[in-house]
Amino acid sequence: MLRDLQAAVAAALLGDAAAAADRVVGGTLSPTRRLEIYRHNVMSNLRGALRDIFPVVERIVGDAFFMQAAGQFIRDTPSRSGDLNGFGAEWPAFLAGYAHAAELPYLADVARLEWAWHECFHAADAGALDLHRLAAVSAEEHETLRFRLHPAVRLLASPHPLLRIWQVNQPGYDGELAIDWDAGGDALLLRREGDAIVIEALQAGAFRFLSALSCGAKLEAAATAAAAADEAFNLQGFLLDSVQSAVIVDFERGSP
Amino acid sequence: MSRPSHISPSRAGIGLRTPHYQAMLQTRPPVSFLEVHSENFFGDGGQPLRYLTRFREDYPVSSHGVGLSLGSADPVNPVHLQKLKRLVDLIEPTLVSEHLCWVGVDGRYLNDLLPLPYTEESLAHVVDQVDRVQCYLGRRILVENVSSYLQFVESTIPEWEFVREVARRAGCGILLDVNNIHVNAVNHGFDAHTFIDAIEPGSVGEIHLAGFQDTGELLIDTHGDLVSDPVWQLYRHALARLGPVPTLIEWDIDIPPLEALLGEAAKADRMLAECVAAQHAA
Repeated sequence: MLRDLQAAVAAALLGDAAAAADRVVGGTLSPTRRLEIYRHNVMSNLRGALRDIFPVVERIVGDAFFMQAAGQFIRDTPSRSGDLNGFGAEWPAFLAGYAHAAELPYLADVARLEWAWHECFHAADAGALDLHRLAAVSAEEHETLRFRLHPAVRLLASPHPLLRIWQVNQPGYDGELAIDWDAGGDALLLRREGDAIVIEALQAGAFRFLSALSCGAKLEAAATAAAAADEAFNLQGFLLDSVQSAVIVDFERGSP
Repeated sequence: MSRPSHISPSRAGIGLRTPHYQAMLQTRPPVSFLEVHSENFFGDGGQPLRYLTRFREDYPVSSHGVGLSLGSADPVNPVHLQKLKRLVDLIEPTLVSEHLCWVGVDGRYLNDLLPLPYTEESLAHVVDQVDRVQCYLGRRILVENVSSYLQFVESTIPEWEFVREVARRAGCGILLDVNNIHVNAVNHGFDAHTFIDAIEPGSVGEIHLAGFQDTGELLIDTHGDLVSDPVWQLYRHALARLGPVPTLIEWDIDIPPLEALLGEAAKADRMLAECVAAQHAA
C-alpha cells in the first residue's frame, strides 16, 4: 500500500533511518545508508528554511546550538505545508520552552520579531488612504470610525530591548556592540516602505492605539486606550503620520 | 502592451533567482523564458510578486512547483492548489509543472522530492491526482521525472515506463530532466538511453539541465554546478529523438553571476540549433 510505505519512510526520515530499510533495495549501498542520505537532505532543507527566516536567532546562538535546536523542533513540530515559507510559525514558542535556551530569555522574542518580519514581507499590498475622503467625514462621525491597518503591518511588544538586539546582529553592522539591558522593553511597529521593511520603536500610547485599531476598535475606544497608556499621546498628529506612512490605509463608518 | 507568451522550442531559458534581479533588470538578457519556483510567489503580495509581475512584462514564464506532492497518498492539498491557481491566474505562465514524487504524507511534510514506488497502484493514483489538478487549474501541466538515491523493493514498473504512462493516461506533458536521468542511471545502474528512448516524442513540453555532485558514493542532484559533459551528450541524444524542446538551465545553490547561467543557456541554444538544422537536412 502506498500510504503504508510513505508513512514508514516519513517516520524513518524524521527518526531512525533503519526503520524502513526492509522497503528499500540495497546494492552498492545499504538500504539504511540510502535512507540516511534522504534523512540528511530533509533535515538540511528544513533547517535551511529556518535559517533563512531566523538569521538573527542563528547569529545569537551560533551554528551548533541552532542545528541541535532546529533538529528537535523539526521532529517535534513537523512541517504542515508543501510551501516552506509556511514553516517556522511555532519556532518562537518552541524556543520559549526550550530548556537549553533558558539563559537567553529574549531569544523567543527575537524569533517573534523575525517571524513578524517574514509575514510583513509576504503580506498583501494596499493603496494609500486618500486624506480627502477622511476630510469629508463630519466631526460627529469621527468617534465611530474604524480604521484599517495595512495588511503588512505587524505590532510586537517585548520586555527586552529587542530593536537594539536586532540592530547589533544585522550583517554589516559595525557600530557599538554594547546593549543596555536595563533600557526597558520595546513596542515595535513593522511596516513596508517600497522594497524595504522598516522597524520602528513606538511610544506606549501609539502602540496601544494601533493595537486597538488592529483588533477592530472604533476611533474613540482606541484613543481612550492610548490616552490611558500615555497622557501626552497626540491623536491628530499620530493619525496623520500613520496615514502618510501607509500604516493606516482605509476606514469605514461604524454605527454609533 | 500584451505579455509575451510564446516559448520557442529551439531556445533555452534560465531560472529567475533573487540575486540576479538587478542584473536582469539592467541588462534584459535575450533568453527565451524565465522559470520560477511557484511556492516562492505564494505570498499575498509585496516584493516577490512585484518583481515577478515586472519580469513577466518582458518574458514568458514557466511556473515550476516543488510542493504539490502529486504522488502522496494524501489527496492534493486544497490550500496549496488554490495558491497555485491564484499565481497561475495572476502571472499567466506558458508552462506549469510539478514533480512526479511525494513531499509529505498524513499531513506531515518532509519538503524533499521523494521517489515513488513504481507500481500499478501508484500509477493509478498519480494519474487521478494529475487529472484533478488539471481540472482545477483548467489547463495542462507538465510532470517532471525526479532524481533518486534509492529504489523501493515493491516497484514493479521501470521508471521510464511509469513516466510515459502517467503522461499518456492523464493527458499531461512531461518535463524531462536529463540530468536526473543521468543521476538515476549511474545511481541505479541502468542505461540512460533506455529511459529517453521510452519517452514519446511530442509528449515532452520542456527539458531541464543542471549540475550534480559526485560524492563518491552516489551522484547527488544539487543544481549547484555547470552541466556535466555526459549530461550534454545525453541532451543531444534526447533532442535527436524528441526534436527541439524549450530547455531550462537550473541553478539553485551557490548561485553564480548571471553570465554563468547565460553561458550555459547559450550552449543549449547551440545544440538546439544543430537539432533544427539536422531536421531540415533530413
